Amino acid sequence: MNNYSAEMAGISRRAILKSGAAFAALAAVAGSRAFAQGTTTIKWWDIFQPLIPLHTKMWEDYAADHPISVDYTGMNPSDMMQALQLAVRSNQAPDVFNVPSGDPATLASLNAADWFAPLDDSFVFDKPYQQQTLAEGFTQFGGKLYSFPIFSFRWHSTSLWHSKPALEAVGASLSDTANWDDIRAAAKAATTDGKYGLLLPLQFTARIADHLTDLAMAAGAPGRIDWRTGEYALASDEFVAALDFWLSFQKDGSLHPASASLDARQGRSRWAAGEAAMFFDGPWNSGVLTNNFADFLEGVEVTPLPTPAGVDKAYAQRPPIPGTFFISSQSEHAKEASEVMQLMTTEEYYVALAERMDQPPLDLDAVAKANVHPTYRKAVAGFADSVRLAPDPLIRNPDVAKVYAEMRDITPGLGEIIQGAFSGSFDDPRPILQDLADQMTAERDRAIKVATDNGAKVSVDDWVFDNWTPGTDYTSDMY
Amino acid sequence: MTGYLITGRPVPTTHQTCTDQRFSRVPTLQLPKRLQGRGTQIIGRYGHPCMLTTLEQSAPGWRSRLWADRWIYLFLVPTVVLIGTFTVYPVLASLWFSLLDWNGFGSAGAFVGLANYQELWGDRLFWNAFSNTLVFLAFAVPLRVGLALFLAVILNATFPLVRVFRTAIFLPVVTTAAIVGVVMRYVLDPTSGPINLVLLNSGILDQPVNFLGRSSTALYAAIGIWVWKWLGVTLIYWLAALQTIPRDVYEAAEVDGANPLYRFFYITLPMLTPFTIIITLITVIEATNVFDLMLTLTGGGPFYGTEVIDIFVYRQAFTANIPRLGYASAAAIFFGVCFAAIAAVQAVALIKFRARRRSS
Repeated sequence: MNNYSAEMAGISRRAILKSGAAFAALAAVAGSRAFAQGTTTIKWWDIFQPLIPLHTKMWEDYAADHPISVDYTGMNPSDMMQALQLAVRSNQAPDVFNVPSGDPATLASLNAADWFAPLDDSFVFDKPYQQQTLAEGFTQFGGKLYSFPIFSFRWHSTSLWHSKPALEAVGASLSDTANWDDIRAAAKAATTDGKYGLLLPLQFTARIADHLTDLAMAAGAPGRIDWRTGEYALASDEFVAALDFWLSFQKDGSLHPASASLDARQGRSRWAAGEAAMFFDGPWNSGVLTNNFADFLEGVEVTPLPTPAGVDKAYAQRPPIPGTFFISSQSEHAKEASEVMQLMTTEEYYVALAERMDQPPLDLDAVAKANVHPTYRKAVAGFADSVRLAPDPLIRNPDVAKVYAEMRDITPGLGEIIQGAFSGSFDDPRPILQDLADQMTAERDRAIKVATDNGAKVSVDDWVFDNWTPGTDYTSDMY
Repeated sequence: MTGYLITGRPVPTTHQTCTDQRFSRVPTLQLPKRLQGRGTQIIGRYGHPCMLTTLEQSAPGWRSRLWADRWIYLFLVPTVVLIGTFTVYPVLASLWFSLLDWNGFGSAGAFVGLANYQELWGDRLFWNAFSNTLVFLAFAVPLRVGLALFLAVILNATFPLVRVFRTAIFLPVVTTAAIVGVVMRYVLDPTSGPINLVLLNSGILDQPVNFLGRSSTALYAAIGIWVWKWLGVTLIYWLAALQTIPRDVYEAAEVDGANPLYRFFYITLPMLTPFTIIITLITVIEATNVFDLMLTLTGGGPFYGTEVIDIFVYRQAFTANIPRLGYASAAAIFFGVCFAAIAAVQAVALIKFRARRRSS
């Protein structure tokens, strides 16, 4: 407040200082009183911005009749690991945090570095659909429960979202069984008058790698690894075909030219601003649009993962889902943290979680009971039919964790290669993809050798699942 | 170590010969306290009879000299502590980290010797980053130094609005590089960016140029932005340097009939040589620290097209799923050594060049 406005309000500078000092003193007294009552404060860091209202309310309600409060810090996904590394090394780790990448390799490394503490013995997670998600290296280490997922593994980020008015204006439409050629034609038609057919968030390499993998699976690829042989399938015809499908938009001129420099958030807002007709995204698109572009959402339609031939069902294989939140080994409040985390395992929580319209909740049935936008309901309903659980060598052999912990990122990865194909860095992506597959195979072999030299009992055969059939769930009894 | 100390203390020889009242209160000759009993003796005096200065032969050890200059060292302590903590220690720590295989999750890594350096040698992306940095230097430094000199010569004159022009060129300097990166993404946007709109609407182009989205243009776009952002600083250096050239030299040249071009090449440039060297050096150093701009402008993409060495190190150390602090340190150290080597070669060449010029 400047002098002028203070005078206008009839308050002197001294009065402001006095009241400020009084307020500070009051706060100090209140703080010490709360401390005296023995309230435990859990420091909680995560990246789930859309869930903040849900979690804050849940924690406040709980704190009303329990001596546990949560001190929440929302983190930017890209800064989270860096912040955690610094916090852990300086002994200031939060009591509870999430690991953004969540892949078992990172979890294995973190567990090897003794970052995690197990959940308290009082923690209950025993419904059948909950029990199904428990797996060594994902939620458990050495047989002890360390974490649990709040989201279902049945989702992918490659539903095709389009603006109906934009397509109708040029006499086009997309059905749920639209094939790749239909989509390309619709995009071409929608490219007019400074507007474009499709926008891809090419700067977000991890996301476009997921998109391309899903599209390749829709074309019949087994995934990045063919579990029947254990080999990396990144240079297979399906991956090349999926990339060609994407590049065809650039050739047609129907790809939004700014795609190369946009990430998912920026891309989504420009799509929602009407600059492009179509956008690939996950189910959370409904949630983000509801919060930020509610008017636009009314004209939005979502169609399932598109296939080259337009068959009505394409299967996407997803790996088991890792635990969402972890307790720090530096925490002195593991018991209280477990108590708070228990709140995230109830039916009511899953319904409330569905209503945030982010990743689908662990209990997919909760979506039917929740008050959600029709596009979210449709996208999630499709997942139940089309997303299947892939096997994972870590579940078969816990020693695989040592291989995962040893494996280094191969660069350029799939996302960067896609980016390179669009930016004109090379003409033929197939040898580059083959090179990636070869390097990943070599890196895995090297990591296996290091792990076995250090006493791990693991071989490349752990990556081979003869009894796996694409399009089916690989359940725990099949290992 | 033996040496001579000349104390500044005026000492009258005798009161008979010195009648100057100013020196009457000076005490009789004696060694300053700090030198007494340390093997120092007075061996002579010189100066005005009224103000003789003693010439002392002393053999103070390093300890006594340290003590003698204790205030100097005391005032140096904060600088030494800060540089030690934030420059020397990190460099030494990086040197040690570069010999480790360390993901940063645990408190310590495993010693692997020179394995990280060996791996760097065969890492295509490291050499890509290395060459990107060199390309950046090769284009950005001459462009910034040259363009700033050109503008400085013009803006050194007095004409209407000259201060406005100087301020306008300096303005981008005070903005944050990271913000410039974000803003420039909008400015260079292929569909709604003003540059593309001008190019399209004026009919120069019929298709928008994706400056930051094409491998072939992204690095050069970044160079252009960096030069624009920092031009003002170099301009100020040059303006200051130009002030050191005496006006009468120009006037003499003018009388001799030298045209502006001749005056520039035969007076301005030669007289600016020492400044050119130091300004170029500063610019080269700055051109290797473009992390903030690159990270927000392109993040090193597309397809590593703008990945300079800073971004490479950052990617290895922080953004990889499994960070590699040891490998990142090795890359930083290796680049630092290469760069120092280039600088050393440059310095030797410069010295030889000067020596040859002097002898001729």
